Amino acid sequence: MASSSAAATVAEPFPIFTVAHKYILYDVDTVSHARAAHNITGVLIGGLPQAPQQNVFSGIPLELMPEEARLLVEKGVAYLVDDVKAHKDGVLGGALAPEERRAFQNALRKHGAAAARDAERKMEERKKGALEKKFGSSDWNDIPEDMLLSTGKRGAKKGKKAGSRTPVPNSAAASGTATPAEEVESLFTPVEAGPASGPPKTGPPRAPSVASSAEPTPFAVTPATSTPPLNPIPPPPQEELPLPDVPSSYPLFKHLHEKSYFMSPGLRFGCQYTAYPGDPLRFHSHFLCSGMGWEEEFDLLDIVGGGRLGTGVKKGYLIGGREPDDAGQEKGVRTFCIEWGGM
Amino acid sequence: MADADEDVIPRTGPSMEDIDLSDETQDFRFLAALSAEDAKIPKRGEKDFEPHATALQSNTLAASRQAMHNALAFQRIHQPKHHTIAHYHPETNMAYAYNPKGPLFTRMGQILPAGQDPLGEERRGHRLWLLPEEALYLLERGTIDIRWPATDEELAAGEPGMPMSLQGGHAVFIGDEPTHSGALTYERYSVFSALKRQGYTVLRAPTWDSAGPPLTEANYPPRTSSSSLLHPSRLWTLLFAPALTPNTTSLPDTSSLVQPGLYRSYPSIYARLALIPFHNTPAITHPPTPTTPSTDPAFRITYHVYKPGSTTYKKSAPGAPDFRLAVVNGRETAVPTLEQLGALLETAPWDPPAEGGQLYGRLRWGWKNVVLAIVDQGVTSYLRVGDTVFGRERLFERVGRGPGAKRGGRGGGRGGRGGGRGRGK
Repeated sequence: MASSSAAATVAEPFPIFTVAHKYILYDVDTVSHARAAHNITGVLIGGLPQAPQQNVFSGIPLELMPEEARLLVEKGVAYLVDDVKAHKDGVLGGALAPEERRAFQNALRKHGAAAARDAERKMEERKKGALEKKFGSSDWNDIPEDMLLSTGKRGAKKGKKAGSRTPVPNSAAASGTATPAEEVESLFTPVEAGPASGPPKTGPPRAPSVASSAEPTPFAVTPATSTPPLNPIPPPPQEELPLPDVPSSYPLFKHLHEKSYFMSPGLRFGCQYTAYPGDPLRFHSHFLCSGMGWEEEFDLLDIVGGGRLGTGVKKGYLIGGREPDDAGQEKGVRTFCIEWGGM
Repeated sequence: MADADEDVIPRTGPSMEDIDLSDETQDFRFLAALSAEDAKIPKRGEKDFEPHATALQSNTLAASRQAMHNALAFQRIHQPKHHTIAHYHPETNMAYAYNPKGPLFTRMGQILPAGQDPLGEERRGHRLWLLPEEALYLLERGTIDIRWPATDEELAAGEPGMPMSLQGGHAVFIGDEPTHSGALTYERYSVFSALKRQGYTVLRAPTWDSAGPPLTEANYPPRTSSSSLLHPSRLWTLLFAPALTPNTTSLPDTSSLVQPGLYRSYPSIYARLALIPFHNTPAITHPPTPTTPSTDPAFRITYHVYKPGSTTYKKSAPGAPDFRLAVVNGRETAVPTLEQLGALLETAPWDPPAEGGQLYGRLRWGWKNVVLAIVDQGVTSYLRVGDTVFGRERLFERVGRGPGAKRGGRGGGRGGRGGGRGRGK
């Protein structure tokens, strides 16, 4: 669970989770780390919960191209984890010890409580700010009582008078109209519905211990990652998952990546990768890349098409492939860049 | 991922508004502007050509990265007031919630009919089942709190199951689909969630995981084909060039195409030159025996998509969708062959272009159409494929409807009131 504002240090090797033949990262620190330390950007495929109705900015999770995943694994900075199996064994199969489950739930609750306090504080500040703006004073005692009631539009809160500045009524106002007791109930009523595998539960819901009268009810939290409770560890060599399958353009990908280019999928430009000279957050891409086999025959029109398109968007059309080794002498990858002359 | 540089493509048609901001990596520092004033989409950020090792550049990059990190680190918390708990059901790989509140649920989820609910009849009417993609989308959106099935110990303690993390959601709802013989893939999920984020209503099509039902009348032109003879242009043909089409076909090979005779207009001559056969979609009729579509599994209609803000949409009776969309894996498939594309279009409903519309518009629309969503590693491109019949749009019959007669209409002809052209003299 990463909520810190600064990227925490990431221990290497870090896990890459394989789900349905894709390579996914969920931890925001790992995402930032792969970007900053390894020039691996991937593609964010999730939505942002804070701005849910738009597609301009995307969020966690991050999908890695097989090439990227393979590169990271080959460099030894990452390892693959079969995430489906991990969840089925750990969470559904019961490999996770009850204490671990409880510890996780408690940790989440603590987290939720912090979030609730945070929300309350923010609400308080906003209210204060608004009042200050309106009346030029942050002292509620200076404000006529009826004004507070009308602007707060919380008619139900009869007990909340302007003079009462103890945290209890304010917290109720901050987190909604419900009183703390009601909130506890609404948070836990679905227990009565009964989870899928068990019979309906009829016992009274147990109030969480942290919910005292002075504390706001902890918010429920949906963590982004499953660590904790699951703690993936690098597998011993004999249990390692096979390396990701990569297309034949991998040598070109690797070559350009070694030259510290940032690579991203390029189908939109009719190529395999777009290569950026630096982080795509900051720079335009320079090349539209297509990997080729050294002896591969291709259509001359590809050069015309790629070259026209590349030049049209101020990029070079780049083709490259691995030159076969010549009598033990390694030749490596050669690249060719095609641009329209415009003479 | 595209780039701002695409501006320099000489654009004649689309204007600046058409540029898809989601095409390229946007600077996350503009996200704050987006969330604060909601609808406002940020302007594209300024980017540099290449690194030049200045402190200014590296500081800007660091700021962008930090903004991105902060945005991504956002935590999904559920305020007690809006807290919706759903439960994961491992047997079906779906999730269910009891009486969930919120506008999103008017377009998602379903209450299963009697006898079909895996959890039996008790409280069936209150139980809303969410398909894997719906559950995962709502989880990702921070709208619902999905719980794993509770262990016996948790049940005894009166606790709900552990909260499902986003990672867990991906692992089961997409990763575990094969064991449930489900057909949800990452490609399909990305398209689903991207469309949902834009407000579309997205439903699984009948061809979601099979070839689907046999083709019906709706896939073919209506049978009242004779009425099309009464269309003005047809009528005109009938009057001035009777027996025009038969003549063309019955010509012996050796004779000249345009035989000596009296021709009052060019169309009657041009019509004799129309020799090349073409695929005439509107002429294909519904066969007497129902045929099962022979679509390739990689090219099948995946989703029915409804425009946002539709007031007539009802969950129980969604009606005809606005778009039919086929999700295609860009890495594992090549450009579809004619057979694949033809079979795909066969399953699309009959959707003719507007009668009497502009030629270009008619051609673009086609007689049947389907939208392809091609996903390359999480980056989606949408293409609209239409079954266009060029052979039917006879240019030589369009007298008086050329560009010069736009204002005057048919009556204008030459020398009418449309004086603009003659004034130069």
